[in-house]
Amino acid sequence: METDAINQTPLFLSLAQETRLIIERRSYIRDYPAGYTLLIEGAPAESCYFLLSGEVRAFRMNPLGRAQVLARFKVGEPINIISLLNQNKINRATIETLSPVTVLVLPAVDFNHLLARYPDFSNLILHHLAERLAKMTDLAAELSLYAVRARLARFLIELADLDPTSSGWTQDEIAAHIGTVRDVVGRLLRDFESAGLIQRQRGQIILLDREKLIQQAQE
Amino acid sequence: MIEMSLPSINFSLCNRCGQCVSQCPENALVMTGQGPAFTDPVNCTYCGTCEHLCPTGAIRAPLYVSWRAN
Ligand code: SF4
Ligand code: SF4
Repeated sequence: METDAINQTPLFLSLAQETRLIIERRSYIRDYPAGYTLLIEGAPAESCYFLLSGEVRAFRMNPLGRAQVLARFKVGEPINIISLLNQNKINRATIETLSPVTVLVLPAVDFNHLLARYPDFSNLILHHLAERLAKMTDLAAELSLYAVRARLARFLIELADLDPTSSGWTQDEIAAHIGTVRDVVGRLLRDFESAGLIQRQRGQIILLDREKLIQQAQE
Repeated sequence: MIEMSLPSINFSLCNRCGQCVSQCPENALVMTGQGPAFTDPVNCTYCGTCEHLCPTGAIRAPLYVSWRAN
């Protein structure tokens, strides 16, 4: 089963046959239900996970229990690489499944072995690390440069443009992602609706006016 | 037939605390042996209060964002 997963996952297509064989020998597959806590922030980082199906989110909690969603990971993305590469080897965030997921689990010792001996594997990890760094830089810029209203408009546009297959965002998650609280998100969505920018139909938010939303996003 | 989106309930996470049932502003939920269930789906306005209050993350009212079809 690991062989099929490795050969069929686009993530691993760039790897040499030999590298894939090592991953296959040293990894195993696990299934988890939706709502499962895969990793806990602050616990020792023991494995790298490759998402074969489903979606997960990474978040951090502040001492008051408020969550900041850092990222969502989709099929093909490696999870926990930053924690494994850090010197203290501690999970940097809590990872929770948003849907039933299947992951390929590669223990830390084997992750390190592959990194040290197989340049195609190191390149793959570097590539994902660079992408993650770019996303984090964008998020930091969003939080410091734009007001909440603009951040929400930007986030709605991003979701509609780039993420049509997402498993949906709750108001709490949107609030955590854009660095505010749920009530503010609710109020801004009502504002956008009365201004004719969006329409809400139960679980759907339909964006109506791209030009005006972009204006909001830039304020 | 009207297509209704309803909050989803994960019974394996639900501890049957009843907060969602007692705090729902529309009285759309009732407690059953398994966990909360919708009395009449039409009553639910998808306000998300239940999801916000649920201590275990068992109930979710996700929003899906898309552009208006041309
Ligand atoms: S979404 Fe609102 S109306 Fe619907 S069940 Fe939950 S609390 Fe009640
Ligand atoms: S609030 Fe959550 S845990 Fe409590 S009964 Fe409702 S779904 Fe179950």
